[in-house]
Amino acid sequence: MARILVIEDDPDTAGEIVAELRGHGHEVRAANDGDSGVELALREPFDAITLDRMLPGLDGLSVVARLRAAGLTLPVLMISALGDVDERIAGLRAGGDDYLIKPFAPDEMAMRVEVLLRRQGQMAASTALLTAGPVEMDLIRREVRVAGEPVRLLHMEFRLLEFLMRNAGETVARQIIFERVWGYYFDPGANLIAVHIARLRKKIDLPGQPSLIETVKGEGYRFDAG
Amino acid sequence: MPAEWPWATWPRFSAIRKTSTFRLAVMFGAASVLAVLLVLAMVYSLTAGNLDTRVDLILRAEMARLVAVPPADLPAAIDASSRAGANPLGHFGLISPGGRWVAGDLGASPPLRLGHTYAREDGPDVRGPLHILAERTAGGFIIMVGRDSTVITELRDHVLVILLASGLVVVPLLLGAGLALSLGPLRRVDRLQRVASTIAGGRLDARMPIEGRGDELDLLADTVNHMVGEVERSMAQVKSVTDAIAHDLRTPLTRVRNQLYRAARAPNLPEAEGQRINAAIEDLDTVLARFAALLRISEIEAGHRRQGFAATRIDELVAVVIDLYAPLAEEREVALLAGSLAPVTLVCDAQLMVEALSNLLDNAIKFSPPGGTVMVTVTREGGQAVIAVVDEGEGIPAEQVDAVVRRFDRGAASPAVPGSGLGLSVVAAVAHLHQFALELAPARADRARPGLAARIRAGHVPAM
Repeated sequence: MARILVIEDDPDTAGEIVAELRGHGHEVRAANDGDSGVELALREPFDAITLDRMLPGLDGLSVVARLRAAGLTLPVLMISALGDVDERIAGLRAGGDDYLIKPFAPDEMAMRVEVLLRRQGQMAASTALLTAGPVEMDLIRREVRVAGEPVRLLHMEFRLLEFLMRNAGETVARQIIFERVWGYYFDPGANLIAVHIARLRKKIDLPGQPSLIETVKGEGYRFDAG
Repeated sequence: MPAEWPWATWPRFSAIRKTSTFRLAVMFGAASVLAVLLVLAMVYSLTAGNLDTRVDLILRAEMARLVAVPPADLPAAIDASSRAGANPLGHFGLISPGGRWVAGDLGASPPLRLGHTYAREDGPDVRGPLHILAERTAGGFIIMVGRDSTVITELRDHVLVILLASGLVVVPLLLGAGLALSLGPLRRVDRLQRVASTIAGGRLDARMPIEGRGDELDLLADTVNHMVGEVERSMAQVKSVTDAIAHDLRTPLTRVRNQLYRAARAPNLPEAEGQRINAAIEDLDTVLARFAALLRISEIEAGHRRQGFAATRIDELVAVVIDLYAPLAEEREVALLAGSLAPVTLVCDAQLMVEALSNLLDNAIKFSPPGGTVMVTVTREGGQAVIAVVDEGEGIPAEQVDAVVRRFDRGAASPAVPGSGLGLSVVAAVAHLHQFALELAPARADRARPGLAARIRAGHVPAM
C-alpha cells in the first residue's frame, strides 16, 4: 500500500482517481488546488502524486517545480487535458515522471501510478541484480540466466525483460511498455508489442512450463514470477 | 555544375520550343520573312520587267534605224555601230541573203529567231547575257541588234544575295527572340507548376506566385489561388467538424468505458456478463484509439509543435525503426532489409519521424506477401535526403495515391487486412509539418504486383 496525493480541481475527475487508487489498496489524500497541494505534499509523507496540469492559482508545472525545489523526489504523474506532445514534453521537463491525457481510463491511470511507485522503490534499493522466478538479470554485466543457463538477449529484448521483471506480478499495458522501453509516445498497435513479447518468450520460457510472460486480454502483459 | 548557377536551371530547348510564346515568335518571324520575300520578289520582278522593256525598246529603235539604211551602206553602218566605244552595251551583226556573216561583232550562233527579242549567253569571258533582236530587211539581209543584259542578271543576283543574307541574319534573330521571349514565361509556368504539384500533394496552404504584371498568368494564378483558398476553407470546416466530433465524443465515451470497467469489477458478476462487458470495453477502446489518432493528426497538421525539433541523424533513426519492426516482419515471413543508410542529419522531431517511419514499415510489412521483401534506404539525391520504404505488395493505383493519405481511406486494401486507414494520414501530416515531400509510387513495372515505393524527401541537406 502506498500513500498517494491527488491534486485535481475537477471534483468528478478527482473522485474517479481517488476511487480507483483506493480500489487498488492505496491510501489517498486529495487537494483541489495547487497551493494546498504543495502545502500538503510538504507537510505529509507521500509515495506518489497525481497532478492536474491546469489548476486554478498555482498551475501544475509550477507545483511540480516547487516540489522539486523543496527536494521532494517522489514520482509525479501529470494529468492534463492538453494532449499536445509539446505539452507532454513541457510537463516532463518541469519534473513530471509520466504524463496522462484526459479523458483517461482509470485502470490505465492506476497502472501508470504503480509503475512509477515500483520504479521509485527499485531506485531506492539500487539493486544491480533482478530476480523473478527462474530468471536472474545482472544489470551491470548485462547478463541473463534462466534456471541457471545463460540466455543471449538483444539490447531491446534486455530492456523489455528488465521492465517486465521490475513490474513482476503486475499487469502493464502495451502502450506503457512501448513508452517505457522504447521511449516513444504513439500507439504502435497491438501486434508490434505482441511479436516482441513472443520473441522474448522463445528465449526465456522453459520447455513444458507455462510462459513467464502472461497475456492479460484487453489489458497488457504480466511477468509471472510464480 | 552547382545548382545555384542560373543556367543550371534553364529550361531545355525541347520545352521552350513547345511554348506558345516561342511558337508565336517564330510564326510572326516567319510571316515577316515571307512578307520581305514577297516585297523583294515584286521589286525584282518589276525592275527586271522594266529593264527588259527598256532593252526591248532600245533594240527596236536601233533596228528601225538600221533597217532604214540603204542595203549598200549596211555593212559600214553595222561596223560603225559595233566599234568599241560607240555603244558600250550594244552589239550588232549582219548576215547576207546567202547566209554569210558580213559585218558586226555578234557571232551568228543559232538559233536565230526573227522578229522577236530573245536571250543568248555567249559563255564566260566572251560576253554577258545578251538580248537580241533579228530582222530580215527588204533586200534579204538579216540585221542583228544585241544588248548586254548583265545589269539585269546582276540585279537578280543582288536580290538573291539580299534574300540569303536576310535569311542568315533573320532566322537566328527569330530563334533568339523566341527563346528570349519564352524563357521568362516558361520559368513562371515552371514556378506555377511546382506550386501546383505542392498543392496537389496536399499543401493547401501553398499559393501560386503572382508577379504583379496583371498579365494572363497572373490572372490564372489569382484564380487558382482563390479556388485553392476555397477548397482549403471547406476542408478546414469539414476537418474542424470531424475534430469537434472526435473531441466531444471522447469524454462521454471514456465515461461510458469507465463505468463499464467498474461494472466488470463488481462482485458476484456472472462470468458471461463480465465477458460481454469486457468485449464492449475493448470495442470502446478501439473507438477511443481512433479518436485519439484523429486528434493527433489534427495536432500534427496544426503545425504548432516545435519543441521536439532538433538535429537528428536520420539514418540512425531508421535503423532503430527497422529493429523495432524486424520481429513483426519475421512473423509475417517478410524480409525486412536495410539497404544503403547514408549518414544524414535532419532538423526534425525524432518522435514524429519514428511514428511516420513506423507507419510506413507497418504498411509495407502488412501488405507484403509472405516471402516478400521490404527494403529501407536513406540516400542523398541532389542535395536532398530521401528515406525510401519499398515493398513488393499490390501497391496503390495512381488514381488512389491522393486518396490514401486522407483520413480513413484505405485505398483498395482488402477488408481482411487490419488497419484504421489513418497510418498514411499520419505520415502525410508529419511530412507536411516538416515541409518534407511524401511520394507514393509503384516500386517496379510489374502490373500484377507493382509494389509501393514510399519516399520521404527532405529539402536541402548539408553535406556531412
